Amino acid sequence: MAALTPYTYIQCPCADPSTLGHPSGPNAPTDTDADEDDRTFDPRAPRSNYSLYPLEYLLYCEDCHQIRCPRCIAEEIVTYYCPNCLFEVPSSNLRSEGNRCTRNCFQCPICIGPLAITSLETKPNPGLLAASDNTAAPHHGPYALTCSYCHWSSTEVGIKLDKPNNVHAQLARLQNGGATRLTGKERKERRADPSKAQDADGRRRGASRDGQDLDLETQFTNLKTFYQSQLADPESSDSGLAPLGDLGYSSPTSLSRIMHLYTGGGRQDKKAKSRVGAMREALGSGEGLQLAHLDESAAIAALQAAGHDGTASTTQLLEQPPHLGAAHPHGSARLAASLRPIPYLLRTKRSKRCPLCRHIISKPEAKIQTTRFRIRLVAGTYIPSLAIRALSLSSGNPPGPAAAAAAGGLLDPLKPAHFLLTFKNPLFDPIKVTLGAPAATPGRFASRVTVLCPAFEVDANTDVWDEALKDGGGGERDKERGGRERRRRKGEDGGGSGGGGGGGGGQNQLEVGKIWERGRNWVSIVVEVVPASLQAPVGGGQPGLLQEDEDVLEIPMFVRVEWEAEAGGDEVGAVVSRDREAKEKRELAYWCVLGLGRIRQS
Amino acid sequence: MSSKRLSILPPVSSSGPKPPVHFSSSITIADSALLTGTHQVTVLSESVIHPRARLDSSAGRLNLGRRCIVHERAHLGLVPTNGRFTEAAVTLGDYVAVEVGAVVEAGNTVVGEGSTVGVGARVGAGAVVGKHCTLTPHTEIAAGAVVPDFTIVFSNGMRRTDRRGVAVELKNKAVARQIDVLRRMIPSNPAKFV
Repeated sequence: MAALTPYTYIQCPCADPSTLGHPSGPNAPTDTDADEDDRTFDPRAPRSNYSLYPLEYLLYCEDCHQIRCPRCIAEEIVTYYCPNCLFEVPSSNLRSEGNRCTRNCFQCPICIGPLAITSLETKPNPGLLAASDNTAAPHHGPYALTCSYCHWSSTEVGIKLDKPNNVHAQLARLQNGGATRLTGKERKERRADPSKAQDADGRRRGASRDGQDLDLETQFTNLKTFYQSQLADPESSDSGLAPLGDLGYSSPTSLSRIMHLYTGGGRQDKKAKSRVGAMREALGSGEGLQLAHLDESAAIAALQAAGHDGTASTTQLLEQPPHLGAAHPHGSARLAASLRPIPYLLRTKRSKRCPLCRHIISKPEAKIQTTRFRIRLVAGTYIPSLAIRALSLSSGNPPGPAAAAAAGGLLDPLKPAHFLLTFKNPLFDPIKVTLGAPAATPGRFASRVTVLCPAFEVDANTDVWDEALKDGGGGERDKERGGRERRRRKGEDGGGSGGGGGGGGGQNQLEVGKIWERGRNWVSIVVEVVPASLQAPVGGGQPGLLQEDEDVLEIPMFVRVEWEAEAGGDEVGAVVSRDREAKEKRELAYWCVLGLGRIRQS
Repeated sequence: MSSKRLSILPPVSSSGPKPPVHFSSSITIADSALLTGTHQVTVLSESVIHPRARLDSSAGRLNLGRRCIVHERAHLGLVPTNGRFTEAAVTLGDYVAVEVGAVVEAGNTVVGEGSTVGVGARVGAGAVVGKHCTLTPHTEIAAGAVVPDFTIVFSNGMRRTDRRGVAVELKNKAVARQIDVLRRMIPSNPAKFV
């Protein structure tokens, strides 16, 4: 079984229905707190998957004084850019040209590696090149896109380029196999100037009249012009649908006539004058009719010849950009040999806002080349971090390699194990931490949990040098500091829940209500766990098959942090007239989950 | 006065027997290449063996063709766990490049002419790699597998056929130029191994 490193996940309060939309700041109503106290958060509930995050994933809103997870922030796109050429694409271009890089950035359709533009021209005499290389003219004449990883080349699909720049526009004009086609813009120009269309386009038009394949874009434009002409001409009574023609249901003009009946339009008689005819459907390829190729034997033969390796995979097909010049997909073989280069998808830089107060929580620098952030309020600088370490009392002090092995190893059922929880305070004010954990973990196998010191204070995150200088001066502290920098406090410091049950005062003795170890801005406490036996579920009966990760010992823990911050006017709607010097009491409470390890299956 | 840094590891080359060699006079073999084993190692003309390349002939003969390049830490003739003696452990055709850290196992393994065994790739015992193939970095060819000519093996064993229409002569000339440069860069010492 894979070893499990202890982890801490924090539940974002946004997932809690009782606090939805209510930032539970210092002035939050107390009845919600009472509600929360009643329920124990179950880390195994299916919903919990969506609300538990490592501390590093969380942000913090300074105005709402609340944790924000990736689910409860509003995102705004700052810039669009191409990940390959790092070119910023204005959002106006995005609307007209789509969400792909329209410069020279392409991905290999086989392996998605970046494609390079290389000259296909063979050098006249490579043997002599060493002498005349520099004097020779630079590469010219047809170019191809090549992948240096899987050695795919666009010549495989018959695409050769005339120039090494503006590849995107060139590709749009090229069919697989090298035949050119009209782009939408050109088609519009041709239509505006029909005389030009006749000579240049005659061959293609002639072909499409004969019922040849239309590409998608041509078919669409043909259909569109056809239907527009049908709509414009209400007299078109050469109905393809004779029996329905009398009823006229299929005609949009009759529909509008009916609508006029109800809305009482004044132009009733004018409409009635025009005899309503049903619209007919497209009849030829000039009108956009594309007959399906029902004979798929060619496609089947191609698939058989190419085999599995030659067939495009689903991922490869999904990566393919929509190509307007493609033939009608019906009956096509979808071979790997027909895949086209993929223009790079654009990426975005996003800023994140708090959904409640609309303040920006995270904002990247707009420049693409920089990875810095202008604003980034990560939760790690506002709430204490929590580290877990296995504590082995038997192997003596300090926790040696045996303990380290136990941390990644398995927990013995029904045998008490101890873990050190280290709370590190990132704030510049001392915080008061209160912990709450259920006596037994939820789920089928209830392990017993005892937090030996559920309430304690963590000192402020002051300057490192303050501490060092203070220590250098104070002789008494120095003495206490000897050896392993262990400073233990008396029970009254920790709030004293539960009388001192631990008899004796030995160095390794666990004492209820006492802090295990304390440093400049951190405090370690001990949690005692009696892992449940995986043979005996809570309700009795047979344990049956274990579900996935049911042997992981996870403890839900409610953390409440209180501190006195300077009452800066940063809070929206805060009383401005309040004394500047006054301290303001803040509190933050959240559930977290401690994953301690796997229980041994006997 | 040499400011050479010395490794604290014991020299590997001193272990094992010195194999009989048959070198062409025009090859380039670095002083620190490692040749071990008991069977013959044949290297044909103009091939280059980089420093710390390892040629192991303990499970059979090694044959290297003309203008082969064996890069640093490449290992030819690695004996697999259930390896046994074969007449020719590894045969490289002409113009074969075995790149850094690649492994070609012993056991009638053949790499065909003009093929490239990429960085960190592994060719299993008895595999036959065809001509002008490319094994991209870190690909593994299973023992006994047959790779047809002009095949590219990439991304976890996917295969495709090279249809670029490789100009073989052009490629060979590029290799020749590369060897020209390497010959100037790598001090050759074939006498050490004879």
